[in-house]
Amino acid sequence: MPQTRRQTYDSILGHLRANGKNDPSLGDVVALARIASESMQQFIHNMDAAVNRELRGIADYIVTMKQEIGVFQANDIKDSRIPAAGQELDAVVQSTEQATNSIMECAEEILAADTSNPEAYQSLVNDKVMQIFEACSFQDLTGQRVSKVVETLQTIEKRVGRLIDAVNAKDIDGVLSMAEEQRKKRKEMLMLNGPQLEGGGIDQTSVDELFK
Amino acid sequence: MAVDSSMSVLVVDDYKTMIRIIRNLLKQIGFEDVDEAADGSEALGKMREKRYGLVISDWNMEPMTGYELLKEVRGDEKLQKTPFIMVTAESKTENVIAAKKAGVNNYIVKPFNAQTLKSKIDAVFGD
Repeated sequence: MPQTRRQTYDSILGHLRANGKNDPSLGDVVALARIASESMQQFIHNMDAAVNRELRGIADYIVTMKQEIGVFQANDIKDSRIPAAGQELDAVVQSTEQATNSIMECAEEILAADTSNPEAYQSLVNDKVMQIFEACSFQDLTGQRVSKVVETLQTIEKRVGRLIDAVNAKDIDGVLSMAEEQRKKRKEMLMLNGPQLEGGGIDQTSVDELFK
Repeated sequence: MAVDSSMSVLVVDDYKTMIRIIRNLLKQIGFEDVDEAADGSEALGKMREKRYGLVISDWNMEPMTGYELLKEVRGDEKLQKTPFIMVTAESKTENVIAAKKAGVNNYIVKPFNAQTLKSKIDAVFGD
């Protein structure tokens, strides 16, 4: 069992008292030095074992971290999945805009059409209504594109969740850049909340109540 | 005050399709003189050059939002009486209350239809 400092001190004191001398001889000093040396050896041995255990723990943690970061596949997310999702969303915006413009053009042409010739008018309306149906087919494609983006987000969510659990991550403040911080403050100050999901905002009837 | 369909209307939105939709809806309810602006600062410039009988503005725009435009308009002696309707996807109660406090005449939540637009314009002009 390792000696405590107190026990070491008591050993030295006991040795001096046993010899009954106030002025220690060379032999006493050597004996004291031996006790001190033995106690230091024990201390260093204990410390070595503790440091060794700590270092082994840190090494194991680093190995686990490296494995988890590998499983996270950060390069796949950065170089492939996020750019692909961005492209899909751009395509959604583009096709939605094209379809909306096509539908509006048809509607505007119907509204502005000459009704004096019923046959010609009916033919134009039929033609434009068919074009509106065709334009509405964008919904199928955008639905598929959005599904792909949702799948990507779910994959990223799973990987991030696993990494958070593995490293026991805690969020820290002050990581936003100055520009991001300013955008965040502006959004809060000007209440730029954007469209809400169902139940997140109020409907027109509730808005009207506030204006009564 | 009755609705005068010959008055000039300024539609402020950064989304061209929405401007086109509102312009068409306004046309259907009788308003032909419709100008457009892509954000609050452009709208403010146009309002200082031409007298508008009604402003219909989105909220979320860059660099100047519709909310900032509303506050600028209400703080400007020459423009402060211009009727102002907010047409926006911002549907949180805090937005509606803030707009009302800032002096908006009415508030429409997107998506909306022609009937809602017409009823709010009528309400603003007391019809």
